[in-house]
Amino acid sequence: MGLGTFIARRILTFIPTLIGVLLITYLIAYAIPTDPVRAWVGEKLMNPQTLEQIKAKYKFNAPWYEQFAFLVQQLLTGQLEDPIRHRNVFDEISNRFGVTVEVAIVGFLFLVAIGIPLGLLAAIYKDTPIDFAVRIMALVGSSLPSFVLYYFLILLLFTQFRTTYLAGIPEPSLTCRLSIASWPESIPVLGHIGAALGKVPMFAGIMCGEFDVVGETFKRLYLPGLALGLLNGGFIARIVRNSLLDALSAEFITYAKARGLRKLSVWKHALKNAMVPVVTVLGLNFGGLLSGAIIAETVFNIPGIGRYMYEAILRLNFPVIIACTFLVALVYVTINLVVDILYAIIDPRIRY
Amino acid sequence: MDFIYILLKKIIWKYAGLREKISPGWIQKNSSRIREWELMAYAYSRSPIGVLGGLIVFVTFILAVIGPMISWEPYWEYKIIINESYRYMPPCLPPSCTGSPLLGTDEWGRDIIAMSLYGIRISFVISIVVVVLGAPLGIILGLIAGYKGGVVDEAIMRITDIFLAFPGLVLAIAFASVLPQRIRGALESNSILRAFFAGLFGLREAEYAQIAALLSIWLAMVLVWWPGYARIVRGSVLSIREMPFIEAAKLSGLSTWSILFRHVLPNVISPVLVMMTFDIATATLFAASLSFLGLGPQEPVPELGFLISKAGYYFPERSSHVVAFLGIILLVMALGWNLLGDALRDILDPRTRRAIEYRMEKEKKK
Repeated sequence: MGLGTFIARRILTFIPTLIGVLLITYLIAYAIPTDPVRAWVGEKLMNPQTLEQIKAKYKFNAPWYEQFAFLVQQLLTGQLEDPIRHRNVFDEISNRFGVTVEVAIVGFLFLVAIGIPLGLLAAIYKDTPIDFAVRIMALVGSSLPSFVLYYFLILLLFTQFRTTYLAGIPEPSLTCRLSIASWPESIPVLGHIGAALGKVPMFAGIMCGEFDVVGETFKRLYLPGLALGLLNGGFIARIVRNSLLDALSAEFITYAKARGLRKLSVWKHALKNAMVPVVTVLGLNFGGLLSGAIIAETVFNIPGIGRYMYEAILRLNFPVIIACTFLVALVYVTINLVVDILYAIIDPRIRY
Repeated sequence: MDFIYILLKKIIWKYAGLREKISPGWIQKNSSRIREWELMAYAYSRSPIGVLGGLIVFVTFILAVIGPMISWEPYWEYKIIINESYRYMPPCLPPSCTGSPLLGTDEWGRDIIAMSLYGIRISFVISIVVVVLGAPLGIILGLIAGYKGGVVDEAIMRITDIFLAFPGLVLAIAFASVLPQRIRGALESNSILRAFFAGLFGLREAEYAQIAALLSIWLAMVLVWWPGYARIVRGSVLSIREMPFIEAAKLSGLSTWSILFRHVLPNVISPVLVMMTFDIATATLFAASLSFLGLGPQEPVPELGFLISKAGYYFPERSSHVVAFLGIILLVMALGWNLLGDALRDILDPRTRRAIEYRMEKEKKK
């Protein structure tokens, strides 16, 4: 089976998973005993006429499967509307998802920058204090309540030293955003991709040549990134260490040494073989970051997708909940697929 | 560390003696198993990380059991009603300062050490029960999926995939915002249930609405907790079921259930036990995160995550001591389980255990 067939088959298995996720979300939402329309409109504006109008608009009087089909149909055609903000859900989501992507990128960079060197160090200096320190860091990192770390990083790096700020998200200039938004009209396919990438303010800045946006973004988001790196970096380091040691104890390494290869090339062989588990964990971590770090977004005041989802749930905003869970599930399955494809690229023995 | 080894050995032999009394000949039949257990006890006693983790877990367990009883301040009495100056009192460490709470007070003027004793009980109970209920669900589904194969496997794993793709926190949030009203009704009408859960969490029966919120966090977490276990167990079962001893068990006419539980399960349980230990730590933090987001119990329940989120409003000027102290408690609680899990991983892995056996025999010869 070639890679193309493998990908096609995997994408087909996405369909039942995604439908299942939507169905469960919907059934939970449906089981809520309160009246969502009340939560949307608010007691003040309540009059029977508007209530009926909204109910008719979202087919609340129809049986549950019709409502579900209606929601899915609107979701797939991109017409879903946020009943509280009265805007298209996908516009709202794409703005916030851009910010979440930025957080994920910055956090991921810190994760890699902290986790991989530490893991290599721990493997080289196996069973020394360095190795032990990395082990302890991994254990403490996975035991630390994230919000407590966030608070104390804010205390140190914001309140004391003002190295960052906690409001707003740096954006490129209006002319830049407008020009990117007009790309799909002038350039056929690439324009759409460019416009989609341009939803991430950092990328838009790069595309227009406004590179200071990138710097500003890092200044704004390095604190949550650092926190995410500190929390999970130790864990990544452990994975790197263990898989590298596993690879180093394999027979082909003994053979390579016996053949008289230089130390560097022996390491190169080992590293390549140690990559597969590392890529898995890093990929899943990135996927997790893309689904929105709700707590980090709350504490650092970042208008990302996690926060949007959280607010939507608190206000029983079903269209938004459905669209967000769909997005998160889609990110999850896609990341899994990408990780699988990466396997085949890293390890030629794996063929699909 | 020798005394830990002796203690564990005693426990193992006590248990063996008990089994011997029930069914004579048990010790002789299971002598190799007992020797393996002794080896595990030895390996554990030689692992400083494991011993430290076990000690922390033991202390938190004791604190969780007696905490609400020995707590010297009722959590439902707000001292600031008498005197506003009690709010967020700074720590007061002897000898320079005496007469007020040692580590300061929280928003309502309650001593935070006394409050943390209630909080430890709540966190401990939630984390243990989530894993103890969630893991078996995943294990059983994984066993069935791996052993039966075919359509059953496909169906179970598709459902597992759905739950894995489902954002866990979202499911938990959704449940936590939906379920409390329903559970509250059940607690309101059933006084035995109310008394049971109030006793379990160390709260008053009058707070049944908050107990309902805690229970809904529980249910939500159990529901998002099982897929990981199902996947890991299925994977190991797939390789175990092809082994000759399973074929032999089938030929001897054992029922599927007894093959699954007596022959397959013992061979896949080690990684699951390690995962469970780590997961108790994760569950502790997850539950605290949910109440940090305001989805858990509300006033006056002193849940650790909830107290921290309240202190967050006054952070850092007035409440950094509260965030630090309660944060350290959560850290230590989770760290205990993580340390224990890290040691268990080495102990339960038969490969590393052989190395330890070798070392032990060498030591004995000396």
